[in-house]
Amino acid sequence: MAHFDTEYQRLEASYSDSPPGEENLLVHVPEGSKSPWHHIENLDLFFQRVYSLHQKNGFTCMLLGEIFELVQLVFVVAFTVFLANCVDYDILFANKFVNHTDSSKVTLPDAFLPVDVCSARIRDNVFVIFILIISGVFWLHRLIKFIYNICCYWEIRSFYINALKMTMADIPYFTWQEVQARIIEIQKEHQICIHKKELTELDIYHRILRFKNYMVAMVNKSLLPVRFRLPLLGNTIFYTRGLKYNFELIFFWGPGSLFENEWSLKPEYRRGGNRLELADRLSSRILWIGIANLLLCPVILIWQILYAFFSYTELIKREPGSLGARCWSLYGRFYLRHFNELDHELMSRLSKGYKASSKYMNCFMSPLLTVVAKNVAFFAGSILAVLIALTIYDEDVLAVEHVLSSITLLGVCITICRSFIPDKHMVYCPEQLLKVILAFIHYMPDHWQGNAHRYETRDEFAQLFQYKAVFILEELLSPVITPFILIFCLRRKSLEIIDFFRNFTVDVVGVGDTCSFAQMDVRQHGHPAWMSAGKTEASIYQQAEDGKTELSLMHFAITNPHWQPPRESTHFISHLKEKVHREAAAGQQGIIAENPEFTSTHSLQSDSEPRSLIANLLMGPPSLASLHLGREGSIHPLSIGVSEGASALYSISPVSTSLHLRGSYPSARLPRPDHPAVVAGRAMTGSGTDARTISSGSSAWEGQLTSMVLSEYASTEMSIHALYMHEMHKQQSRGEVSRHTWHRQESDESSESVSEDIEAARNFPRSSTFPTTSHREGPAQPSGSQQRYGGASDPVSGSFRAQRTPRMPMGGWSEENQMGRHHDPVPEEGSEDELPPQIHKVT
Amino acid sequence: MNCRSEVLEVSVEGRQVDEAMLAVLHTILLQRSTGKFHYKKEGTYSIGTVGTQDVDCDFIDFTFVRVSSDELDRVIRKAVAEFKDALGNSGSDGMGQISLEFYQKKKSRWPFSDECIPWEVWSIKVNVVNLANEQERQICREKVGEKLGEKVINIVEVINRHDYLPKMPTQSEVDNVFDTSLKDVQPYLYKITYQITDSLGTSVSTTMRRLIKDTLAL
Repeated sequence: MAHFDTEYQRLEASYSDSPPGEENLLVHVPEGSKSPWHHIENLDLFFQRVYSLHQKNGFTCMLLGEIFELVQLVFVVAFTVFLANCVDYDILFANKFVNHTDSSKVTLPDAFLPVDVCSARIRDNVFVIFILIISGVFWLHRLIKFIYNICCYWEIRSFYINALKMTMADIPYFTWQEVQARIIEIQKEHQICIHKKELTELDIYHRILRFKNYMVAMVNKSLLPVRFRLPLLGNTIFYTRGLKYNFELIFFWGPGSLFENEWSLKPEYRRGGNRLELADRLSSRILWIGIANLLLCPVILIWQILYAFFSYTELIKREPGSLGARCWSLYGRFYLRHFNELDHELMSRLSKGYKASSKYMNCFMSPLLTVVAKNVAFFAGSILAVLIALTIYDEDVLAVEHVLSSITLLGVCITICRSFIPDKHMVYCPEQLLKVILAFIHYMPDHWQGNAHRYETRDEFAQLFQYKAVFILEELLSPVITPFILIFCLRRKSLEIIDFFRNFTVDVVGVGDTCSFAQMDVRQHGHPAWMSAGKTEASIYQQAEDGKTELSLMHFAITNPHWQPPRESTHFISHLKEKVHREAAAGQQGIIAENPEFTSTHSLQSDSEPRSLIANLLMGPPSLASLHLGREGSIHPLSIGVSEGASALYSISPVSTSLHLRGSYPSARLPRPDHPAVVAGRAMTGSGTDARTISSGSSAWEGQLTSMVLSEYASTEMSIHALYMHEMHKQQSRGEVSRHTWHRQESDESSESVSEDIEAARNFPRSSTFPTTSHREGPAQPSGSQQRYGGASDPVSGSFRAQRTPRMPMGGWSEENQMGRHHDPVPEEGSEDELPPQIHKVT
Repeated sequence: MNCRSEVLEVSVEGRQVDEAMLAVLHTILLQRSTGKFHYKKEGTYSIGTVGTQDVDCDFIDFTFVRVSSDELDRVIRKAVAEFKDALGNSGSDGMGQISLEFYQKKKSRWPFSDECIPWEVWSIKVNVVNLANEQERQICREKVGEKLGEKVINIVEVINRHDYLPKMPTQSEVDNVFDTSLKDVQPYLYKITYQITDSLGTSVSTTMRRLIKDTLAL
């Protein structure tokens, strides 16, 4: 190799680098790295920590929480050992007498064994020593993790304070969206991520939820073995925290997992060539982990039992009803979760749906159980009453053996029985309730719709929404069952899992490997039955089930209004929004047009949340309230609007979900939809995100549009969209019937031209039982029970009605009411429109 | 993850390995080196000069430019020689990968050691081919030269993008960003690592067989 010196030679440093006299010509000022936040190595962890610090309300709260957890751990172990070894139960139960010189009272310390006896007992007991060692190791592990975490979170804390300019005290008052907006702001200055000049919301979500998205997708594609057909119990779902932990261990972070590190899949798993070998390898890994689980099973089991005992006994004692309460199951949380949905977003919408869901589950009181429960409660109550009366007369009764315990037991028994006795004054309407639930949970299998009253539906819903007691029981059983699921069920799926990770992993610049479903690309993963027909190019294997891609996309776009989706997605979103907007506008116009005095006459304060106002607008199965009002004799066009609003409110606000029979509920008591807020709300629905981003010109909300309100709107908007999409989906999958609807739509596009026509038709009472008389409504009616809506529609509502199923008319309230007045049977019967007759529960 | 990674692939004959690697590594380092910083008071500094040198390759029709710093050259040659030996010892027509990683040091508090956070990784995948006769060697000599020329243009394109670079440090922090151990030139902190991979399939199948055997033996 020959070297040729070019003319660019280094000046020898014998003299100053700069030519003499020019020392100050080229002087640079170092920027220095004043902030330590540029170029963070592990952004996944970093964002996760930022998020969790936000969710845990700041550093101090988190610190305290963690310290208490450690203390709790010590306490659980120490207290159990103490109870098992250092208490003389004979003394406690008074089987043995203590010789006291001064008094005859037995004190608690009497029951304790002396320290030396106690420690000797512990030392002799190998089992106890074993447990102590294990929990000691576990505790030390937790302690090290805690110390490490504290160091890490200290950094995050200073990130919040110095970079994001938020003090710890303020954190609880910022929404995550605000924190996120600041992070995106900061990126421009500090360059946290070096791949891009600017971060997007989606990048941050991807990083925080990388593995969760995979799990959601795997649950969505039914890849995980969580569904079992058991001989006695039928179809069951078993998915516990232990199982979830093992899945994550196997796929994401355990030794030899599919992921190389937090952000990239191992290269060999990307190639299709040796998938069989990889599947073999995976299945043997699963076997090993299953065996390890089996070996550790006793330890985990003991831990679970102890933990459950100490965390739930107190609760059960305090409110025995809590076991009968329900909670969203772990499976439900994965089934219902959108792609790219953070924990707090999921929890908030599930919590909103909680009330309606428990009401729905309560619809299904078994009459048999009710009779039994009533009688058991009667007998138990009588005994309890006598015991209490005796006690009041003379409290020595309490000293009789087992009196106190029988009083407690009887009390618990009565509480349990009472939970089986339904409220006398409730009327339930499962179909309607299910719709309200859907507005919050956003996902639901197709076959539930129209079958809300069936026990099968209930049972399936119970899989998502289980008893707390069942949850605890499953957690307790989990250590025993988990190894078998791993060894016998998951192993068989290893090839599918390998294929899944190969097919559904995409490398996103600046983010790393993510689940391709989480890109929410309608083109790649859209389902033709969920409004992405024509846009999607996905094969059946690639389609996300239950419209998850589409709903997630909407959800993400709505929760993050500043996010710029890719072009196809933008198209999809705007298309959908426009449709919904059209309907909303139609609904709004309908009311205003019909009721000119509407705003002036009623000026009662609307006490309901905007959520219910808006949501209803679209949602409204013309709910019973409107019909009940219809019975009020004096149907004035004006009260129609009211009833519409009311029905809207009724159908969604928690109070109304159970549709109390209010045949003649005075309209004055109804929340008025005429408050300016309502109008503003409607306007907002219409303009959707725009309204939220420009914080609405409507004066009604001026000054109140905090981000909390905005996020409230976002959730409402999402509810509307979810309902709308489900409705569209139903329509699409209904095939033949929907043909008519589409056909009608064409004629409706030119609604102006026919408006006079309709105007005339409007004043013409029409037989609801013969819908075909209506020149444009009838043929789409699938069943007699809905024919009541079959009257002519007013011009504005027509256009959107056309796109919905006839069950869900939006603006044609006047006709319905008129019909309710003229032709329809009594409202109580009318209220059954959504449900098959036998289901209407009156107890 | 938070670093750019660029992958280059070359197929060369056994004896061309070191020159090809030197050409690529030196080209990258030429772009990622500055003159020595001379800090003055008031927190300013001036930058020293850097000389360049053309290097002709013996086994490839190619000439590349490198920083005229013998010290730097020595370090890189040493790394490349190790890589070549490892590649030769691996037996069959090996595939190998040499990575040049630029990183920053981040001072941590006491219990942790300093973190080295990479911001750019160049991976050069080498595929060694065996040639039958002189005729082919001659063709290869020219082709590899052309390929390397393309790579150099690739590298320059990447470097011309306005991507993240560590900010210019103050005097106290200069060691966290630049390698100041050399007398005449100051490259960004870098690390050269290599790994030799046999073709992946065999290693997987052998480990597989062992795993299956273990499983059955249980």
